[in-house]
Amino acid sequence: MTKVLTVNHSVEQGIREFLKFLLDTGKIKGVFTLKKLNKKGDVAYSLITRSDELTDAVPFFPLMPVNAGKLISRFTMNGPPSEPVAVVLKPCELRAFIELVKLEQGSLENMVFISATCGGVFPLNMVHEGTIEKNLSPYWTAIKKEEIPENIRPVCKACTEFIPYNADLVLNLVGNKNLDSQCDIVIETKKGEEITTDTDIKKKYSQKEYKKENLDTFKERREAEKKKIIEDIDTKLTGMDGLIEIFGKCIGCHGCSKACPICYCKLCEFESSDSEYGPSNYEAELKRRGAVRVPPNTLYYHLGRLSHIAISCVGCGSCEDACPVDIPVSIIFKKIGESIQNMFEYTPGKSIEEKIPLTTFKEKELTEIEE
Amino acid sequence: MNNPRKTPDASSTDHGVLIQVKNTQKETVNDFLKTAMEKGVFDAVLISMRVPAGDSFAYVLLTNKELLKDAFPLPPVMPVQGAKAISSITRRGKGNKKIAAILRPCEIRATVELAKLGQVNLENIILISMDCFGVMPTPIFIKDPEKSFKKFEDAIREDDDTVMRPVCQICDKSSMVAGDLHMGTRGVQKDSFFIVPHTKKGKDILDKLGLQANKNIDTWRAKINKNAKEKQKKRKQVHTDLQSSIEKLDKFLDIFSHCINCHNCMRVCPICSCRVCYFDSDKMKHPSDDYLRIAESKGSIRFLPDTSIFHMGRMVHMSLSCVSCGACEDACPMSIPVAQLFSMTADETQGLFGYIAGESLDEPLPLTTYRKEELSEVDDVHD
Amino acid sequence: MKKNDDFIPKILTFLCNWCSYAGADLAGTSRLKYPTSIIPIRVMCSSRVDPLFILKGYLNGADGVLLTGCHPGDCHYQSGNYYTRRRFAALKKIFENLGLEKDRLSLSWISASEGQKYAQTTTDFTQKIKELGKNSAGTEIFL
Repeated sequence: MTKVLTVNHSVEQGIREFLKFLLDTGKIKGVFTLKKLNKKGDVAYSLITRSDELTDAVPFFPLMPVNAGKLISRFTMNGPPSEPVAVVLKPCELRAFIELVKLEQGSLENMVFISATCGGVFPLNMVHEGTIEKNLSPYWTAIKKEEIPENIRPVCKACTEFIPYNADLVLNLVGNKNLDSQCDIVIETKKGEEITTDTDIKKKYSQKEYKKENLDTFKERREAEKKKIIEDIDTKLTGMDGLIEIFGKCIGCHGCSKACPICYCKLCEFESSDSEYGPSNYEAELKRRGAVRVPPNTLYYHLGRLSHIAISCVGCGSCEDACPVDIPVSIIFKKIGESIQNMFEYTPGKSIEEKIPLTTFKEKELTEIEE
Repeated sequence: MNNPRKTPDASSTDHGVLIQVKNTQKETVNDFLKTAMEKGVFDAVLISMRVPAGDSFAYVLLTNKELLKDAFPLPPVMPVQGAKAISSITRRGKGNKKIAAILRPCEIRATVELAKLGQVNLENIILISMDCFGVMPTPIFIKDPEKSFKKFEDAIREDDDTVMRPVCQICDKSSMVAGDLHMGTRGVQKDSFFIVPHTKKGKDILDKLGLQANKNIDTWRAKINKNAKEKQKKRKQVHTDLQSSIEKLDKFLDIFSHCINCHNCMRVCPICSCRVCYFDSDKMKHPSDDYLRIAESKGSIRFLPDTSIFHMGRMVHMSLSCVSCGACEDACPMSIPVAQLFSMTADETQGLFGYIAGESLDEPLPLTTYRKEELSEVDDVHD
Repeated sequence: MKKNDDFIPKILTFLCNWCSYAGADLAGTSRLKYPTSIIPIRVMCSSRVDPLFILKGYLNGADGVLLTGCHPGDCHYQSGNYYTRRRFAALKKIFENLGLEKDRLSLSWISASEGQKYAQTTTDFTQKIKELGKNSAGTEIFL
């Protein structure tokens, strides 16, 4: 049965104290979490090794400057750390990291994952606008009532995977009316047990049995939003004309690809000489069309990227925040991603054992595809 | 300073072709191009066109002359820096077609720099620059394209550039005769403009079209010189203010506190053309224990700790060729004033060598050459 | 509604060396008729076909793309065509969900002895593409 460890503080302060304890007693070497950088309150991911630095940690701040899965992949791609590091990240970030581990872009060794049921994150443009501060209180009020906060990323509103998979320790934020006074750390895995079944910890914090919360109301609300958002994008996805309209203003910066945790190629196919046009390509295009957009291959890049990564898309929305011209990339990728994932009943990042569908096969399947 | 920075001035030619405007200036320019194509002076044109959805503009390379009636030289936005378009077309070779490209002075200057960097082959390219009134920031334009379009037209008519990119507002090279030909539209009569030849290639084009560069262009030159001087003054003031706002390291870090290391600025920069940027390469990817060790020395580090090294490093790499176009700032998802910072630094670094990026194809990149005696102020101070 | 009878579609056809290409060859030597719309491209295995090939072909104006290979279980390289099947299914799903004409893409398993199947499949697919009409992607400027 699942055990939960209680710290008598708010969830945020409680996890800070718990992590401080783990650092001070040498059970972990470092903590990876969101942290306030300066007096202005700017927030960024940080690697903390000295416990007093944890005072400025804001582990569950509703912002995702970069998908942490990408950052942890960078941290571990040349090998795991030699001592344990606690990593606090959101469910989709953890799912992205699990996918990256399957793609040999990261290591799980010595990582202690701490996550929480997620209410969503604010779009990054709110950072520059300075509107996050005033939206924090309404955000938490909504979360406690299992309501969807107003100003979060569209893909967050449509997300039904707000309960973390593969986290060693989990906090409950959604629907938790006590999150300002009580911090219940749910111990989900063996690794979580190992790090909490310590005489020091047993002395300091009480442990009891845990009864899982029912978050069906929240899930229903999210599903309703998803339906709405997909219906809306479907009115624009009307074939070639629709795509030309949506992606017409694309400037080819590839920000979406660089922000995406799943896109890990050192040299992207669409930036390599494979996709580069030479004089003969241009001449062929001019012969074919009479005129060609320069640089070329805007749709080829987006559709090609879909064919490459949609199978693992975790719907985090980092792509859309990176786009300078407000193209609804995240909704399109989430929609297409889920349609392919559903074909194989696959949820990216849910299970480390489950192979990515395009890297495996069944001998009898998809008979409807042949004509 | 050993090499005082040259003040940009109009070209050395005194005369140009006077072109009468039929209907609109845009139409006249497009007709000029169509005529040149019909006469076989060039085979293709690279020019901006409005995208089908109407919410932006894109460069199009065309051989179909009929499309020219919908072309839009120097539109309200510059989503892609023109030099990148030229590089896309010629990086792998010059091809068989003669292509005329209508671009802004900063785009042509960037093209010239890229030619020096081996990223552009200018042999079959005819560069035509036009007086530029600036561009609006793309993220703002796309929020309401129709309204923004009108704002742009008003701005040109009233010579009021407050809706343009911050770096455009302090640009003193917006009428630089940078191409083979230059269309001088500023300050002349509403119903005409000048075409000024700048290179032999440009003169040959005019000859083939039977156009005589015999009209005195003093009125135009006086107007653009006056404009350039005003802008220079404004530029100096803005740069002084900017410099004082980032005097210390923590203020510099403050500007980049929102940076998410997306590297959009680098990717849209016309000068940044490395296939794999140094700051994306394995050189920047360290083992986890190394990161932990660095974190230990300070108690905590931002992760990834690459923000400052990326921006400063990019400055070191491309500052001497920066043309202050502002593409970087438009692409930044966190609205960091990158262009203003890089532009200011570029003025200083280029000024050190008396170099103006893209002014002359013959002038070598400062770091690829040297003088035996120079830069005594940074030379061995212990001698 | 009658589509233009003079319209000869361009159908990019990928043929795996060991089965489908031999099957196409057999159709030829057996003097079986098949349409001139077929543009054959021989690959060693159907799994060599990167979805990007199909995408590029489509965006360059191919009216149809036909992907052929050995029957599942008979792949010369044991399991190549199993991956082909999944990749193709995923690509077709992408097309469908973006509103693009997914029927322009087709998959058919054709063995070395199935010259008749090759002739029939290509004829049927050509007819289907004729009904769909020309692929406008080939003339778009702002792709």
